[in-house]
Amino acid sequence: MSTPVMTKRGKIADLRSKEEIKAERKKGRTGLYLVLPGIIGLLLFFALPVLVLLSMSLYTRPPGAEIGEFVPSFQISNYATVLSAYWPELLRSFWFALIATVLALLIGYPMAYLVAVRLRNHGLLKGILLVLLIAPFFSSFILRTQAWKQILADEGFVAQSLKALALLPPDGHLTATPFAVVAGLTYNFLPFMVLPIYANLDRLDTRLLEASGDLYASPATTFRKVTLPLSAPGVFAGTLLTFIPAAGDYINAALLGNNRNTTMIGQVIDSRFFRVIDYPGAAALSFVLMLSILILVIIYIRRFGTKELM
Amino acid sequence: MNTQIRSRESAKTRTNTSEGADLHLRSISKRFAEFIAVDQLDLTVPSGTFFALLGPSGCGKSTTLRMIAGLEAPSVGSISIGGQDVTQLPSHQRPVNTVFQSYALFPHMSVLENVAFGLKRKKDREAMPKAKAALELVELGHLATRKPAQLSGGQQQRVALARALVNRPQVLLLDEPLGALDMKLRRQMQLELKNIQTEVGLTFIHVTHDQEEAMTMADVVAVMNEGRIEQMGPPRELYDLPRTAFVANFLGKSNLMRGEVTGGEAGMLRVDVAGNQVLLPAERAVSAQGQIMVGVRPEKMHIAATPDAVEPGANLLSGTIKDASFTGTTTEYLVQVEGIGLLGTFSQNRGQQPGNVGERVYLSWDPVHTFGLEGSENAAAGVEES
Repeated sequence: MSTPVMTKRGKIADLRSKEEIKAERKKGRTGLYLVLPGIIGLLLFFALPVLVLLSMSLYTRPPGAEIGEFVPSFQISNYATVLSAYWPELLRSFWFALIATVLALLIGYPMAYLVAVRLRNHGLLKGILLVLLIAPFFSSFILRTQAWKQILADEGFVAQSLKALALLPPDGHLTATPFAVVAGLTYNFLPFMVLPIYANLDRLDTRLLEASGDLYASPATTFRKVTLPLSAPGVFAGTLLTFIPAAGDYINAALLGNNRNTTMIGQVIDSRFFRVIDYPGAAALSFVLMLSILILVIIYIRRFGTKELM
Repeated sequence: MNTQIRSRESAKTRTNTSEGADLHLRSISKRFAEFIAVDQLDLTVPSGTFFALLGPSGCGKSTTLRMIAGLEAPSVGSISIGGQDVTQLPSHQRPVNTVFQSYALFPHMSVLENVAFGLKRKKDREAMPKAKAALELVELGHLATRKPAQLSGGQQQRVALARALVNRPQVLLLDEPLGALDMKLRRQMQLELKNIQTEVGLTFIHVTHDQEEAMTMADVVAVMNEGRIEQMGPPRELYDLPRTAFVANFLGKSNLMRGEVTGGEAGMLRVDVAGNQVLLPAERAVSAQGQIMVGVRPEKMHIAATPDAVEPGANLLSGTIKDASFTGTTTEYLVQVEGIGLLGTFSQNRGQQPGNVGERVYLSWDPVHTFGLEGSENAAAGVEES
């Protein structure tokens, strides 16, 4: 390291040798080289497609053109058209994603707590449960969703027992309902909720819980005042990682839903793009989805941001 | 400490309802799988006492403290505080508070919120003003809005103390709270803790492995070893009359010598130690016949080049100096005595020099300072490994 000293003239002299200065500059450049592939990747695979999407969303179909034929334009009315046609699906997507996120939190937090805190000193059991948490990732997303169709089928165990308990009318269904879609979303994104919370709770200092009990806090109060606030960063990450992909998901709605009251925005984009061949409309909807998620996330971060924590 | 403040503080404590309470442990045991941490411990700590549990690591002192706090359930036995059996009570319902070794301050709360935590749980309407006053007591009022991570170790320690103290628990438990501090800060905090205890008049139970800390702070010290209390009493009594080799060695240093009781008169036992006659007051001996172990503290011995100045009736041994180390105020000597082994002593630096390494010297001491232990004791028990 260098040591600046005052010379006779009162100037600060840099005692570093030329070699040292060179080495330091080189270090700065090395850092630049290291991030360069990332920057190129981002430009190539994110920024560029987004720009293409944006310009596509403003294309127009000239009169008399063939299906799928569009020309570059600046037709902002594309947005108004798709929004007025599909705002219910957009709202439903956020609504379903919200319910799925809350459910995943209610199911996932106790799971993460059990593995990270309660079983902290039970190496084997903890390891097995962690593997079980991650195991679903080893099978295909679509396959897992398809499996839910079987689980919730009319002749399946769940529907039969609910009917036996008169919780479901004899002619009721579980599949092809909003319930099935939300259940699928909850199940599929549960690991994204559990893992960040687990990672956070794993570092929780249990001596703080003892201290809380020692200071007259009941176990419930200790959870509310100590455990939960300290795990807030994990909950924050988990809810974002669940909500964002759930809002844009179309597989669960497609496989577990119906055509009436479960259509999500992802399905609409899918059909606009591949079936109706309305590229500008699909692009405009994609853009709306991206922007609204961005806005929701910004509001969420502003409201519950964890800057204050630790 | 300003006397005016002190009188105001004591007036405050007099009006306070919880003044500390008696603590009773009745044949408490704690087993962990194969290991017995605490073994049939009986203990009574009177209200308002500064009590120290002293012992090496793994002796069960922290486990005992955790059982009092309710963080660990005893395998057998009962605990009562102020006459109320609390054995089955969970920690949050016990009238005790702990200052943890790691401080365990809540990182997401400000210093003030940390201190007010216990009061708020008790729905104390004056939680905030009381917490502020407690922070002032430990001289940290100006740091109330900081987060614990922004404080130094010593400051965190004082926050932890304030957080426990502000609740005026019947018993305050201190789990090696000074262990993480450097020596200078430790001494300062020892004095402050002692002052605060005198002011608030609570029962303090202080767990430590530092014998000096235990002796300077506590009214009563219990020396623990392998899950049992070896000996208990005021520091001076423990130091001057240890009843086991462990206490003799763990609490300060001792010269222990094996010998055989050959007779006695006028309340004195005559002990033959490798051919030398050593006198020992009978009431200072655990065992009065056969093989025993006699001991004397190094500073009770006088070391001299000649036996001329030795007072009549004093115990006298002679040997050769094996090692002399000059520390400034004293010179520490290791003297090889034939048939006994190495004995340690020191002489105050008053200009004289009893001898150099290899020279013959005489060790003498007043028989009243001799103590007698069981002959079956291990002379090295409780010697601290450095």
